Amino acid sequence: MKDLSIKTLGAVTMVAASMALVAPAMADGKFDGVTLRIATWGGSNKAAIESTLVPKFEALGGEIEFVTGSPQANFAKLIAARGRAPFDVMEILDAQLPDFAKTDYLAKIDLSKVPNTKDVPDWSYNEMGMASWITQETICYDTEKFADLGISAPTTYKDLAVPALEGRLSIPDITSGGGLANFAAISYAAGGDLKNVQPGLDLIKELNVLKFWSRGGETVTQFGTGDIYAAIVHAGWCVRAKKAGHPVQTVHPVIGDMAVGVQKYGRLGIMKSSKNYEAALWYVNEFIGFDNQFALATNTGVFPTNIKVAAKLADDPVLKQMLALDPAETGKQLRIDYTDADISAWVDQWTRAIVTN
Amino acid sequence: MTVRWDLLLIPSFIFTFVLLTLSQTLFLEGSFYRDLGLGRTSDEFDFSNYLRAFTDGFYLTTLWITVKVSALAMIGTLVFSFPVAYVIARMRSRWGMILLSGIVVSTFITIVIKVFGIIIIFSADGWLNRSLMALGITDAPYTIIGTQEGVVIGLMYFTLGFGVLTLYSVVQTIPYSLEEAAEIHGASRIRMFWRVILPLSMPGLVAGGLMVFNMCMGAFTSAALLGGGKVFTLPVLIQRTIMMEVKYSMAGTLAAVLLVAVILINILSIMVLRRMRVARGVLA
Repeated sequence: MKDLSIKTLGAVTMVAASMALVAPAMADGKFDGVTLRIATWGGSNKAAIESTLVPKFEALGGEIEFVTGSPQANFAKLIAARGRAPFDVMEILDAQLPDFAKTDYLAKIDLSKVPNTKDVPDWSYNEMGMASWITQETICYDTEKFADLGISAPTTYKDLAVPALEGRLSIPDITSGGGLANFAAISYAAGGDLKNVQPGLDLIKELNVLKFWSRGGETVTQFGTGDIYAAIVHAGWCVRAKKAGHPVQTVHPVIGDMAVGVQKYGRLGIMKSSKNYEAALWYVNEFIGFDNQFALATNTGVFPTNIKVAAKLADDPVLKQMLALDPAETGKQLRIDYTDADISAWVDQWTRAIVTN
Repeated sequence: MTVRWDLLLIPSFIFTFVLLTLSQTLFLEGSFYRDLGLGRTSDEFDFSNYLRAFTDGFYLTTLWITVKVSALAMIGTLVFSFPVAYVIARMRSRWGMILLSGIVVSTFITIVIKVFGIIIIFSADGWLNRSLMALGITDAPYTIIGTQEGVVIGLMYFTLGFGVLTLYSVVQTIPYSLEEAAEIHGASRIRMFWRVILPLSMPGLVAGGLMVFNMCMGAFTSAALLGGGKVFTLPVLIQRTIMMEVKYSMAGTLAAVLLVAVILINILSIMVLRRMRVARGVLA
C-alpha cells in the first residue's frame, strides 16, 4: 500500500511536471498576453463564438473578453467615450453604417490579411467593415392556429391585418435589432419608401399588435404561451421556436414588386483606438471562416456570409425549411440602404404613432 | 477624550455625493444644451429641451401616464398591503415573524422574474385565462401586456412587499389596548377601523404611500416589460432616449422633469396632509 502510494505520488508528480513544462509551450504563440475585447450580442451568438473562436485564440496565447450588448448600446458607449472604445472589435448593424461614416472611430481593415474574403460575396466587405452575419427577416406564424382560424398562410405583412389576428401579433420595436429593417420593409410593402414611412406606420397601427418586442427571443416564449399566432422576426428565432416544439413556419414576405424577403446584416469593425490591431484582424478573418460561420448559422439560425457554409445548411432539415438557401432566392431579398434614411425622424414618428399613451 | 463618531459619516457622505449628486448634476447641466445627434451636444446654453418637454403633447401625456399609473399602483399597494400588515402585526404566535420573513425574502427576488411570473400567469394558454374561459367569464384570453392596467399590476407587484413592511411598522405603533377599549365600548370592527386604526395610521400611510409612489415613478423594468413597447412611462422613455436615440440632453431634461415632478408631488401631498390635520384640529 505504501509502495503504491509512493508510486502514485511519483506518477502524479511526473505528469504535473510535464504539464507545467508543456502548458506554456502550448499557449506560446502569436498573441501571447493579448486580451482582445469584442463588443457583441450575448446569448447564443456569443455562445457560438465561444465554441469556435475563443479556443483558437487561446491556443495562440491570447484571451478574448466580451462586452455584451446590442450594437445600439455599444455605439452609445463608443460615443460616450469619444471613440476611445472599451473594446477592439465591434459588431455594427447595417442601419448604423451611415452614423459610423460620420465618425472617425473605425480603423481601415488590411484586406490582404483577411484571406477568408475569398469565400464571401463582394458586397459584404470593404476596408471599413466585414459583414459577419445576415438575418432573413420573415413572418413566422403558427400553422396550427392559422388552420384553426381558417386563415391561409400570409404572403406579405398586409395579410396579417385580419380581425382574427388582432392582439395576436408581435413585431419588432423600432429600437430593437430588427426594428429598422422590418419597419423599412413594411413601409415599402405598404406603398411608402425610406423618405415616406407613413404608410408603414398606418399598416402597423392596422395590425393591432400585442407587443413590440425588444428581443427576438420574446417571440419564442410568446408562441409557447399561446399569446401570439404570428410574429415579424428573423428566421433564426422561428428556427428556435420550431426546435422548441412549436408548430411554426416562416414566410419571406413579398415587398411590392421590389423583392421577396428582407435581409439585415451585421458588420465587424475594428476600432481605431485598438492596441491589438493584428489580433483584431485575425478575429475578423476567422469570424467569416467556415467553422465560425457554420456554428453561428446552426446555433442561431442566421444566414452565413460564407458561401460554402450556405451550401452546407441544406443538410439541416429545419434550416432548409425556414431559411431561403437558394442563391437565386437570396439574391432577390431586400437589403436596406440607410444612407438617405432619417432614422432619428423615423424613431420620433414611430414613438408618436405607435405608443398608445 | 471625546470620540468624534460623527466623523464616520464623512466617507459615506463623499461616496453619496460623488455617485449621486455629481452624476445628477452632470446630467442636469447637459439638459441645457441641444442634441446634435450621435451623442454630441451644442455649446450654446439654452432652454429648448425644456420648452419642448413642456409644450409637446407627447411628453406631457407621458408624464401624465407616469403619474397616473404610479398613483393607481400606490393606491392598489396600500389597499392590498394594509390588511396583510395589520394581520401580521397583530399576530401573537411565531407565524407573524415567519410571514414577515417571507415578505422580506420576496422583496429580494429580482423584479424581472416577478414580472415574467405575471406574464406567464396572464398568458393566453395560462391557467388563469383557461379557467376564466372555462367558467364563461371571458370569451377570449385577457392579456395585460401592452396595457396600462398591466403596468399598474406590475408596479404593484414591485412595491407590495415594501408596502407591507412599511405599514407593519406603522400598525405596530398603534397600541392594541385602544382597539380593546373601542370594542368594550361597543364599536364594531368596521367602526373601529374607520375611527381608531385608520386615523392613527394616517401619517404612516401617507409616508408609505409616498414611498411607494416615488418607487413607481422611477420604476423601469415593470413598465418596460409589461408596457410591451406600447405604454411609455417617463423612465421607459428616458432609457429609450439615452440608449437607443443617444440623445443625452433630452434624456437629461426628461430626468429632471421626472425628479421635479416627484419632489413637487411629495411636497404637495405633505402640505395637503398638514392642512387636513389643522382643519381636523380646528373642528375638534
